[in-house]
Amino acid sequence: MVNDQGQLYTIEAVAAGLIMLLTAYVAVSSTSVYTSGDAHISDMQLEVVGYDALHMMDIPPNITVTKSPLQQIVESNPPDGIRFGDMFDKIVNNRTSLSKSDRIHFNASYTYRKSDDSIQIEYLNSSRFLTGGEHTVRATKWVIVQKNLPGSGPASNSNRAVLVEVLLWRD
Amino acid sequence: MARLKDDAQWIVLMGFLVSFGLFFLAMVINQSTVVGQTTAESAIEFPKNDIRDVRGALIYSLSNGTSNVDETNYPNNFVGRDITVLSLSRKNAIAHVDNIIAPDPPFTDTANMTIHFNNGVTDYYENCSNWTEL
Repeated sequence: MVNDQGQLYTIEAVAAGLIMLLTAYVAVSSTSVYTSGDAHISDMQLEVVGYDALHMMDIPPNITVTKSPLQQIVESNPPDGIRFGDMFDKIVNNRTSLSKSDRIHFNASYTYRKSDDSIQIEYLNSSRFLTGGEHTVRATKWVIVQKNLPGSGPASNSNRAVLVEVLLWRD
Repeated sequence: MARLKDDAQWIVLMGFLVSFGLFFLAMVINQSTVVGQTTAESAIEFPKNDIRDVRGALIYSLSNGTSNVDETNYPNNFVGRDITVLSLSRKNAIAHVDNIIAPDPPFTDTANMTIHFNNGVTDYYENCSNWTEL
């Protein structure tokens, strides 16, 4: 027969059970580290800014110019790192706010293949030297150039693909 | 020990259960904001820009002649091999192009190539043909 005696004892038993469950849960979950869901959104935005900037720089400014600024920069000898720095800096740091405290820094280089299939990295420009502590993201762009790349085989003006790589970080 | 007063015990019991139910719901909502792999991370890993970029570079070069891209028949040339080697060492990706037919105006505008791309997360394969010549 069910009657209504002893209900407070039931409550006490339930409470004790829940406390034990909670204790076990806290103890087990304290060993795992989770990342909050919005942690990488700023990285993603920074990466998109970098890709878009490089994409803009690889488009000729008008129909009478056949080479994009990025192609001209890599093709000039030595590579025109100053021009790259000016242009890239203006694109990624162009904003309506007058605040100087949020600035995107970058470190740019390009990579090409030598004739023995090793790769060579050439420095282009940077707004600040990397110390290793920055939290960087990387944006890259394939650029087709016609250039005698040093150490990359017979001299000719055929098309070559070089990879322009930019590390970006906020400071 | 004094005897417990046993009035209204059902009410106390139900209130107790409801309050714990609310507590657990709050905990579930709290957990929903933390995940192992975030959505933004997945978006970063998806190689949209890489694929578009490789594709653009190859189409651009092939529009200027087969010998720019076809490393099987023209072993010294150049863009196809560049992209394969540099992708492997700098992008952690396998990229390759074959089945190359360049447009040969004025006789034909037909062009074809097959692009393979795999960065370990995403495998991309495309046979692109008959694009309008640049």
